[in-house]
Amino acid sequence: MERVPCTDLAPVDAILARYPREEPSLIQVLQDVQRAYNYLPCEALERVAGELGVPLAKVFSVATFYKAFSLNPQGRTIIKVCTGTACHIRGASQLIEEVQRRLDIGPGETTGDMAFSLQTVNCVGACAMAPVVIVGEKYVGAAKATTLATYLDRGE
Amino acid sequence: MRIESHQQFDAAVEAARAAKLSKGREVWVCCGTGCLANGSRAVAKAFDERIEAEGLQASLGLYHKTTGCHGFCERGPLVVIQPEGLLYTKVKVTDVPEILEKTVRNGEAIPRLQYKDPVTKQAVAKYEDIPFYKHQIRVSMRNIGRVDPEDLDDALAHGAYSGLAKALFAMTPDQVIAEIEASGLRGRGGAGFATARKWKACRKAKGERKFVLCNGDEGDPGAFKDRSIMEGDPHSVIEGMIIGAYAIGAHEGYLYVRDEYPLAVVNLGKAIEAARLRGLLGANILGSGFDFDLRISRGGGAFVCGESSALMRSIEGRTGEPRAKYVHASDKGLFDLPTNLNNVETWSDVGAIIANGGAWFAGWGTPKSKGTKAFSLVGKVKNTGLIELPMGTTLRHIIEDIGGGILKDRPFKAVQTGGPSGGCLPADQLDLPVDYEVLSENGSMMGSGGMIVMDDRTCMVDVARYFLKFLCEESCGKCVPCREGLKQMLHIFEDLCAGRGRPGDIERIERLCHAMQLGSLCELGKSAPNPVLSTLRYFRHEYEAHIQDRACPAGMCRDLTAYEIVEEPCTGCHQCTRVCPTDAISGKPKQKHVIDPAKCISCGSCFDVCPEDCIRFFPKNGSKEAANAHADH
Amino acid sequence: MPTLTIDGKTVHAPHGTFLLAACRAAGIEIPTLCEHPAVEPYGGCRLCVVDVTRPEWNGWNKMVVACLFPVEDGIIVDTRSERVLETRRVVLDLLLARCPETPLIQALAGSYGVTKTSFVLNPEPTDCILCGLCTRICDRMGISAISSVDRGAGREIAPPFKEPPPDCVGCLACAEICPTNHIRYEASDGRRRIWGKDFEMLRCPRCGRAHITVAQADFFAGKNGVPRSYFETCDACKRKELAATATKLAGGASTPAVEQGTR
Repeated sequence: MERVPCTDLAPVDAILARYPREEPSLIQVLQDVQRAYNYLPCEALERVAGELGVPLAKVFSVATFYKAFSLNPQGRTIIKVCTGTACHIRGASQLIEEVQRRLDIGPGETTGDMAFSLQTVNCVGACAMAPVVIVGEKYVGAAKATTLATYLDRGE
Repeated sequence: MRIESHQQFDAAVEAARAAKLSKGREVWVCCGTGCLANGSRAVAKAFDERIEAEGLQASLGLYHKTTGCHGFCERGPLVVIQPEGLLYTKVKVTDVPEILEKTVRNGEAIPRLQYKDPVTKQAVAKYEDIPFYKHQIRVSMRNIGRVDPEDLDDALAHGAYSGLAKALFAMTPDQVIAEIEASGLRGRGGAGFATARKWKACRKAKGERKFVLCNGDEGDPGAFKDRSIMEGDPHSVIEGMIIGAYAIGAHEGYLYVRDEYPLAVVNLGKAIEAARLRGLLGANILGSGFDFDLRISRGGGAFVCGESSALMRSIEGRTGEPRAKYVHASDKGLFDLPTNLNNVETWSDVGAIIANGGAWFAGWGTPKSKGTKAFSLVGKVKNTGLIELPMGTTLRHIIEDIGGGILKDRPFKAVQTGGPSGGCLPADQLDLPVDYEVLSENGSMMGSGGMIVMDDRTCMVDVARYFLKFLCEESCGKCVPCREGLKQMLHIFEDLCAGRGRPGDIERIERLCHAMQLGSLCELGKSAPNPVLSTLRYFRHEYEAHIQDRACPAGMCRDLTAYEIVEEPCTGCHQCTRVCPTDAISGKPKQKHVIDPAKCISCGSCFDVCPEDCIRFFPKNGSKEAANAHADH
Repeated sequence: MPTLTIDGKTVHAPHGTFLLAACRAAGIEIPTLCEHPAVEPYGGCRLCVVDVTRPEWNGWNKMVVACLFPVEDGIIVDTRSERVLETRRVVLDLLLARCPETPLIQALAGSYGVTKTSFVLNPEPTDCILCGLCTRICDRMGISAISSVDRGAGREIAPPFKEPPPDCVGCLACAEICPTNHIRYEASDGRRRIWGKDFEMLRCPRCGRAHITVAQADFFAGKNGVPRSYFETCDACKRKELAATATKLAGGASTPAVEQGTR
């Protein structure tokens, strides 16, 4: 595994201050760290392990088990293509291909300029608007390959 | 202000009702996830601003409120004008002045914004007359779309916590359990275990410290009723949990919510905060002497955490690995202490059952499955969204009358229920009454209430492959049959969909399915074969076509399918060229177009948009060689 | 004490014990891969499945894993029913596809008539069967230097960040408990290397053998509050010393070394 160095752990300490120093806080803390950094820096995991009194191996195990966490820095805009059943039968795979074609990244990958990351999500619960793509915070319902292009502008 | 007695509670409800009545007219804007995606926040803001700027509260007695999901997400943003109950769909910010001027001031309808019945093509003015709503009976979703989830007083005015007050002041814990037993309520998460029996076991369990948990890890792809309940009426869930805790003798609770549901987390958090401030949570609830408090635990994104023992590990801050359940959670659950876990919808039903009586709830349903059930009706159906119906309603009624039939009037092929643990039911099963037993007996499952309707363009082998891929990613990997079995099963299905199927594949699939059902550790693995076995049971011919003819009858498996444009009646309208992702279609305007097979990736986009039905698909040539190559190696 | 019937034999088993122990006490062999007396039962390999029924169940029976199923009075257990054997065969078939070159799996599968897997061979054969014994023993030692990583088909056992594990003390418990010899280590005089981490060894002051890592001695000393010097002498020398003391004692002489020796 390649480490991406991270020196500023002040956000991690601020997050830790909000939770009891115990194992049940682990996933909650990691959620917030993921949100703060857009990924889980190794140094942050080490700090969290030390402060919560959870072995580092357990922290790493949790960080790799749950899909909400990523150990690699994510792009500034995260494109989540929902692959729930309703989205699947209404053409989610075509949307993934469209993003792949336009950005040259596959699911789980990030563009070289760190502008975009592509992720697939197993159902975001917006099935009535299938197929759904979430660009950053915006939900795009009834998404079409042809209309997706407008959201993939690097100028945004 | 903190409510400190039964009397004060009644007074608070009275005051909330009076305040509600004093608002002569209201504009409700749906701010559920679906409508928000379509821009409802801006619409809500526009109403707010206009009402404020024009002083409409004073002049017209007009108020605005945001509500949770009405369920009719596809038509959002939805706006309802009360008390008339007029519904406008797909409302834009620019429509706001017109709505205020014409409809609110002058009582005139705006036909453009009205819902048009896709079957009769008639405009329907009122919310309650729309077929999608008029057949529904809402218990767990009783207040969704009617209350402002951020306004506890609004919830109180709509009856929230009246079940709790009744339980705390007029019933013993045993009486509460007896009432739930009389209602026949069974777990709405899918397994259908009798709620009262679960509560009794946990009440009896030894130990001072007990927990009640809410499973809000709605992971079944295609189901979102729990999301809507948590977002749109969080107080109904909280009320149910307090009543359950009272019945069981627990003083601590956790709401485990999927991280993919950010709005649910926010709304539940606000509701808990509001309930605490008013004395509905915390020490000495409503002055009754009963203590109970609640925390939210956000899941990390793992389908397996919907399984009870994995969910508990996750709340403990660990990986979501299930454990053997030979010792029940009612004795040894969260932190190895007695624990009771129910689903969001189950908890939401509880308050209404206590307020109205078990017999009231049991008045709906079938002999073994009582009450109403929420479903998300999605897929290739005209009206998609969230519905609640009495148990025993037929699939046909749901799909044809409420769903308005199949999109583009294509033929119905199957309806998938129960998510990755469920199965696909074919057309000749449409008259089945939906309840726990009937669905299981026919190879499917109730699950989270997802109903995904599929048309003739859905390949059933691909659907099974889809669920296997889903489960392969979501298996925790602890036990061999699930981890290795799913991987191998997916191999077989990927070969089938790519035209590399071999004789004997069906038998290998069946052998693996049986071993997984018997040998897997948890329900994820045990039920993983269901989508495979149910499609094999009802659509075996599609499997055989994939193996013997290297053909996908639905035209969905790209490696097996080629497309062409037939001479007549292609009008050269260009619609297909616009959607083709690889520019494989060419042709002059108003002349017949052609598909370049070298460029075509068989995605079917052109087929789906062609207004003249002049694109057809056929089994691709050349796949036989690929198959032979495979057989050799 | 609960009385149960296993493969027709009447067996008594103490309350709170598991079916697997009852079967073995009755001389009935049950295959296992993830079970070990030093750690808590896990239920991961699923090889110890057996059928359980009761007379009042009218022929219905349920399949359970013997390693985790608590004994109950009156149950009737069938450890060799056709579906039990078939489930084990499929599990072994799957494991053979994963670990085609692993002697233990080949032998066990062979004993169930599975000599060649009917599934797709693992393109990267491994000896790791993900039985979780290594991580459980590491937890049991109170170290937790390694853990399961990822999930589902991608699950593996690894140290944090797949780097040399900071918490590892080089005790080799994981390597020794591993049933397939997947966890390798190197030991040369005075050094030891496992999980990519190098350890310095302590030499026994009596015999000069390098028998324990410095990290391990420090860890145990810190954990148990015993002076580190206690761990310096190797077990063999300690035993010798004890034997010598006992002989002396038998001869009537008294020495203060007794206390240390019997600890």
